[in-house]
Amino acid sequence: METDLMALVGVWCAATLRSATPLIFVTLGESLGQRTGIINLGAEGEMLVGALAGFAVATQTDSASLGLLAGALAGGVLSLVHSALVLAARANQIASGLAVMIIGIGLTSYIGRAFVGKKVSSLDNLLPSGGEALAFFGPFLQQTTLAGPLAIAAAAFISWWINNTRSGLHWRSTGESAEVTLSNGINPIRIRFYAITVGGLLAGLGGAILSVDYTQTWAQEMTKGRGLIAVGLVIVAGWRPALVLPVCLFFGFTEAAVFKLQAMGITFSSHLLSTMPYVTVILVLIFAHLRARKSSQMPNDLKAVFQ
Amino acid sequence: MTETPARAAPFASLLGICKSFAATCAVDDVSIDIYEGQVLALLGENGAGKSTLMKLLYGVHEPDRGKIIVDGPGENPISSPLDAMRLGIGMVFQNFALIPALSVRENLLLAWPDTPVVIKKIKPQNDPVLKKLYEIAPQIDPFQKVGSLSVGEQQLVELCKILNLSTRLVILDEPTSVLTPAEAERLHGFVRSLAENGVGVVFITHKFSDVKACADRIAIMRRGQLIEDVEAQSIDHDGLVRAVMGTDATSRADPPGPPKSDQPRLQIRGLSAHSRNEVLEDINLNIASGEIFAIAGVSGNGQSLLAEVVAGVHQLDDGDVLLDGTSIARHASAQIMKPHVAYIPEAPRINGCVEDLDLGLNLALRDLSTVGTKPLANVRAELEKFDVRPPDPAKKAGDLSGGNLQKLVIARELADYGKAVLAVYPTMGLDIEATKAVYARIFSMAAAGAAVLWISEELDDMLESAHTIAVMRSGHIVEQFKNSHHLTRQKIGALMTGAHDA
Amino acid sequence: MKAWISSVGAPTALTCAAFTLVTAVFFISIGQPAIKTIADMMVFAVGDSYSLSETLVKTIPIMMCALATAIPGRLGLISVGAEGQLHVGAIFGTAVMLVLPESFGLLGLCLVLVAAAIGGTLFGFIPGVLRVRLGINETITTLVMNYIGVLFVSALVYGPWRDPANQGWPATKSFPEDLILPFFFGTRVHAGLVIAIGIAVLLHLQFHRGTWSRQIKVLSGNRKVGETFGLNYAFTALLLMCLGGAVAGLAGIFEASAIQGRLQPGLSAGFGLTGFLVAWLSRHEPLMIVPVSFLVAGLISAGDALQLFAKIPAASSTILQGLLFATALAVPGLIKRYRGRYGN
Repeated sequence: METDLMALVGVWCAATLRSATPLIFVTLGESLGQRTGIINLGAEGEMLVGALAGFAVATQTDSASLGLLAGALAGGVLSLVHSALVLAARANQIASGLAVMIIGIGLTSYIGRAFVGKKVSSLDNLLPSGGEALAFFGPFLQQTTLAGPLAIAAAAFISWWINNTRSGLHWRSTGESAEVTLSNGINPIRIRFYAITVGGLLAGLGGAILSVDYTQTWAQEMTKGRGLIAVGLVIVAGWRPALVLPVCLFFGFTEAAVFKLQAMGITFSSHLLSTMPYVTVILVLIFAHLRARKSSQMPNDLKAVFQ
Repeated sequence: MTETPARAAPFASLLGICKSFAATCAVDDVSIDIYEGQVLALLGENGAGKSTLMKLLYGVHEPDRGKIIVDGPGENPISSPLDAMRLGIGMVFQNFALIPALSVRENLLLAWPDTPVVIKKIKPQNDPVLKKLYEIAPQIDPFQKVGSLSVGEQQLVELCKILNLSTRLVILDEPTSVLTPAEAERLHGFVRSLAENGVGVVFITHKFSDVKACADRIAIMRRGQLIEDVEAQSIDHDGLVRAVMGTDATSRADPPGPPKSDQPRLQIRGLSAHSRNEVLEDINLNIASGEIFAIAGVSGNGQSLLAEVVAGVHQLDDGDVLLDGTSIARHASAQIMKPHVAYIPEAPRINGCVEDLDLGLNLALRDLSTVGTKPLANVRAELEKFDVRPPDPAKKAGDLSGGNLQKLVIARELADYGKAVLAVYPTMGLDIEATKAVYARIFSMAAAGAAVLWISEELDDMLESAHTIAVMRSGHIVEQFKNSHHLTRQKIGALMTGAHDA
Repeated sequence: MKAWISSVGAPTALTCAAFTLVTAVFFISIGQPAIKTIADMMVFAVGDSYSLSETLVKTIPIMMCALATAIPGRLGLISVGAEGQLHVGAIFGTAVMLVLPESFGLLGLCLVLVAAAIGGTLFGFIPGVLRVRLGINETITTLVMNYIGVLFVSALVYGPWRDPANQGWPATKSFPEDLILPFFFGTRVHAGLVIAIGIAVLLHLQFHRGTWSRQIKVLSGNRKVGETFGLNYAFTALLLMCLGGAVAGLAGIFEASAIQGRLQPGLSAGFGLTGFLVAWLSRHEPLMIVPVSFLVAGLISAGDALQLFAKIPAASSTILQGLLFATALAVPGLIKRYRGRYGN
């Protein structure tokens, strides 16, 4: 009985982590950008481009990991548009992000038509078979791929890096005041460029994990606003990469729960159930704002674009 | 005091420097040498061009004409502050280049050239980046956020940041304007010890007390020109005053007569309020018709919040503000108050105008909430009356200089006689003439029966003109006096800092 | 050259030129003859009366969504919620249609329109109230609520509102003729066009004349100063968010009733986002929105036609919209840099 319960917990944890993994990467990337004072609504488009590129490469090469690499690169390349508009042409960040998002949606539905209906094989599970004896870890590892632990490691690393290194300090100070940062001989434009690019790479990677490793299909606009949700979750996490992890896992849990409910044959409108993530993000935003009242952790330079 | 080092060669030489902004000539053909190991006080009124001259040396601006030679005859061009820093010049601005959200140590690490790639936690005593901080200000906790420090402490952190760069010349831009008298005294001592250790110091100021306390040499600027450049011993107080003000310097505005009645007109009763960084607790004030009531205090002790509550901008938690018996305070955030008092806010660029809109609309803001009002017809006349330059109604408020913007706000708020005036640092950024005009206007409004609440740091002006002076500290009114000859700068200063508690 | 580049029209002219160039590069990169395809697009957009009418049909929802964005935009709010408001407006309007007895006449039509406006208002009110009471950024909430609005439509037409007569097709029953706006000259262009232009003119007057327009200018320039002088930012923001929602809601019912004839999935071909683009290109000026939305609608209907005749996927028009947006954002900034470098 007890082992059954542990197994069930293992399955739920695996499902939660798998559905949260793409979101963790995107949200980490977005939080890095926002820490340097850049908001990027284009994360949605970068994620889509990453999902398609990853899926395409994975079907052609039969290698999921190559697919993930391609996805990350594609996201990084699209993010150059945001960099060019925001840093070189000093365009409004929100408008620029939406332009990137529209380009991403257009490009992927243009190219993606050829890939609808194809299948890929995901990353290998961490534990191929056997191991049922391990109460919790057996079921958990059987349904987990390398992507999940990688996401956790990425969150841990980024969180350490931004708080304990010279470059991390430079990034934080850029987000607080580009002017003061410049007066200290550090080029904030270069740092913001790095941050947007890393954000694009992570969004692309998240998208690729979504299409290659998680759903294993390609569909038009399959990210369904995850890139936009990520922007909201950064606020909920209070711009701290360490908190991105629990926030995204909570999100993954609600998504996994919706799937499990549907699988259990709940006769409730699937469309209404699908509104869950969006309703959830608004509710957690309300909760976070009620708690903090005024978001004092917000990087100071971000306040100018984004109150 | 040691003899100033041999004048072998100046560390920096400015030769025939000119700099104009738009039509105004800020620095007009100035030549001056700056030496290591010497404190040079750069003295002058607001707008005399002192800061601009030093910003030219520091690479913030580039001169239109003239030459800057630093550290010997070699070519050392300065085109940005980074160049200046490389040559050993550091400048402490009035707005500190610090990041409030980061800790003291992180701020120091940002500027330090030897910051390691991975920042480890080191015992503060052994941390090389904190060495200077321990020498100057051991009381500051290096892990505290800079935003939670007092202004004086922040200034010390800024100074440490610059000294960490093995600086040979430190430029201080009006450093004592944000300090309490006690903090200023400590800074004077510190500046002296810097000079004794061979560092050159340029001390920009408009206060004679700074000059007397620590200058070796005095340079005086007026209207962009260098008027005097003398050894400190060779000029007396009167000479300084003449040089700074010019020969035609006139006295201040005539102080107003005593209030006609003691019937309270503006009343603050049991007021409590809070904002993100200030609190007010149980403030009680009564200001009679015709009374000029001054509040002294180190900025950040609740004066800004008090002003915004009285102006009906900020919500109060408890108590009330009454004008002739009617409440004028904002009791809930949803409650919007019409403007009842003439309000000259601090930082008028942020609090007193809409930068993107033209002067005409900015002058008409008081009538804005009344539906059906027409734009002012005689905008130009109004602008000229208060000497706003240029008096062009179509110009945007954001294009005005700080002083002219202040005059614009004053033109709007003090154009008509009202029941109450709330003036927060009303003369900040104004030259002598304009200052005199503003005081005259406020005093005449008091004479006509207005209750005046005057928040300021200009203790001398308060002692000369206010009927009542209250001192504010940590959100409380600590003491309130009827103005008389017995009241001194020192007494008020001690109350402002809480020195009498010790 | 230097004098010209400082002129007022330079950014617009250069943006158009740059966008033509970008479009040409795009067509070449997908292996199409650039000049011919661009010429084809113009023909497909406005070349004959049918093309023109199809472009006008698309102009209506785009113009309405652009106005819906521009209304809160005047206060500096960045609402991207027209898509969701459009869907909820359609739901509310359709709900009235479903409960009204047959042949209710003009009153019925008015009720449907009012209901649609109320639905849109609701979806503008929620992000508005979150913004003014809690300070939650309206851009994020409106973007996320778009998905909710679309899913609500699906939930209804796949669920309780599905008309059995449709043989499984997820749609409500058809709108009766008297609840549909009149059409012009037998085309699909309906009276919504007049309403949209009327709203644009009305907004232009409101935003450029009178006390209210000055109040909005002050509040959008400096909220704190506005409040110092007795203006109510929260109320104004909420009102504008609601008004914007109402206009988008009307667009929704226009599409459902006049264009599609019933409520069904695929109500909007991304009109909300396109409207946002148009509002931004028009700098939130209602009168600019009228021609700009026509041009962008031309771009989209040309994209549809290209798919039909040249086998170029219709998604190309989405890409072109994105590129247009990017160009329009880039050019003014680059001009400013150029001016800065060479001194005024």
